[in-house]
Amino acid sequence: MSIEVKNLHKRFGDFVALDDVTVSLPTGQLTALLGPSGGGKSTLLRIIAGLDSADEGSVTIEGAEATHLPPQKRNVGFVFQHYAVFKHMTVAKNVAFGLEIRKRPKAEIAERVDELLKLVHLSQFAHRLPSQLSGGQRQRMALARALAVEPSVLLLDEPFGALDAKVRKELRDWLRRLHDEVHVTTVFVTHDQEEALEVADEIVVINEGRVEQVGTPDQLYDSPANPFVMGFLGEVTDLGGVALRPHDIEVSVEPGPDTSVSGTVTRLLRVGFEVRVTVTADDGSQVLVVLTRTHARALDLAEGTRVWLAPARGATTIVAGPGRAEPELTRA
Amino acid sequence: MAATVVTADGPTRKRRSVRPGAMTRGSTLGLGIGMVWFSLLVLIPLGAVVVEASGGGLDTYRSIFTNSQTFNALKLTVGVSLLTTALNMVMGTIIAWVLVRDRFRGKAILDLVIDIPFAMPTIVAGLVLLALYGSQGPLGTEFENTRKAVFLAIAFVTLPFVVRTVQPVLEEMETDVEDAAASLGATRATTFRRIVLPTLVPAIFAGAALSFARGISEYGSLVLLSGNLPNQTEVTSFRVASILEGGNRPAAAALATVMLVVALIAIVALDVTQRRLARRG
Repeated sequence: MSIEVKNLHKRFGDFVALDDVTVSLPTGQLTALLGPSGGGKSTLLRIIAGLDSADEGSVTIEGAEATHLPPQKRNVGFVFQHYAVFKHMTVAKNVAFGLEIRKRPKAEIAERVDELLKLVHLSQFAHRLPSQLSGGQRQRMALARALAVEPSVLLLDEPFGALDAKVRKELRDWLRRLHDEVHVTTVFVTHDQEEALEVADEIVVINEGRVEQVGTPDQLYDSPANPFVMGFLGEVTDLGGVALRPHDIEVSVEPGPDTSVSGTVTRLLRVGFEVRVTVTADDGSQVLVVLTRTHARALDLAEGTRVWLAPARGATTIVAGPGRAEPELTRA
Repeated sequence: MAATVVTADGPTRKRRSVRPGAMTRGSTLGLGIGMVWFSLLVLIPLGAVVVEASGGGLDTYRSIFTNSQTFNALKLTVGVSLLTTALNMVMGTIIAWVLVRDRFRGKAILDLVIDIPFAMPTIVAGLVLLALYGSQGPLGTEFENTRKAVFLAIAFVTLPFVVRTVQPVLEEMETDVEDAAASLGATRATTFRRIVLPTLVPAIFAGAALSFARGISEYGSLVLLSGNLPNQTEVTSFRVASILEGGNRPAAAALATVMLVVALIAIVALDVTQRRLARRG
């Protein structure tokens, strides 16, 4: 295990940021710390980097006790949400900074900087100032800067949070490919479940300062440990006392042997290729169903249509209970 | 908003779809009003002084450097101003740092008090300093009528400049940048020298230029303090006044012109140094 965190506690005044967090992050993998804003994931990352200190608990990096080491001695690379560029230095100088601090020979530094700029596709920008780069380019430069010192772990704090949707998606794919090339143990913080599911080998779900579940994206999505994890990883609706995903509901316009709930379509909303249907069940509860456009058209659904609903075969279901995340949260 | 367009030749600034050299009516009017006001207030009077001075020919200027009393006043003024400016660059940065980065009781009050030397009538500033450092003061230091008093007075009135130029820059600086340097292995001292200081340099030097300009022109606070002793504590502004009282307007104007040139040289020199330093990283 590359990073071992044991019984971490951290308070900011009355606010409990971390409440007895214990987690092991495996070597060579890309791990996501996923959770809602203010849930403590950034604090955990900063404590691992030594930029914040824990009130209690211990941190071990690559087998070495690091709890009281200053950030300079932890050999971690850190990438910040808002890039934290050194504004007065060129791109090449930014990347060289860590190596210059380590007093490496000039020729070696130049060679390494060259290599890294190639890796992040910024070779032609070496002599520009950061202010002349786009957000995505700045973040790639920050990544090269962090990688320059050959850190034992790379920590990224909401690395794509300040970028627009398209660039975000590109960089996300690019990070995955980069990680497959470089293999450095990487931990990144995100509140975007799609980002975590798409990029990470392993996800740690953190909420209100506690670890809710650790697992691969498939494990988390298919067998969430509790209603919170299920709600945070995707939309959830309530069908006859069972929580499940809105696209895991079968809709038919006549009663069948498996149907559990009958009701009337009260709202139809088309978003691109999908149709979001609100069904008011006969007991008065509201069920959200998501269908493809084609499917909805085949059923000839309209407001007022009588429908019968059933959980699809193989659907992930969980008994609906308190503590379920509100639907808004899952869209964060 | 101006957008930066990056081309193969390097970055070029593109102003919103206005051809280079072309000006809208509004901006022509704005420029016109601005220039007329600036000319009436500053350019024409300054020109008049230079013309007045040139009435006496080159000899008038020569007399400034050959008249030992005038030359001594000039040396003292420029010397003390340089010294206090250097001091302000260090002290001002420290005070700004404390005001922005540290938390302590009475910080808001200190932040308010910083401007007092700036807001107070300068003659009162002289009185204040006299009360503490004069022969009647509790410290027993007899600073009045000495060069120490000249230094003290100029340092007092120029204190806020660097503080007030550095403070907003420090406030805007993200601490992330320092964290980034730390995780790359830089000690606090290295981070300050290589990351923080280069960011502050333009502000420190802008404050220094203001401080120097204010220093060489100081008058009011010295009235009570310096004693105005020829060749000892007399500064140029007093020298100009006494030459004028003697009725030699061209000579006074010439000295004023020299001070103008000194101020210009200082401001240009500070700006050039600042640009050099800011480019190094």
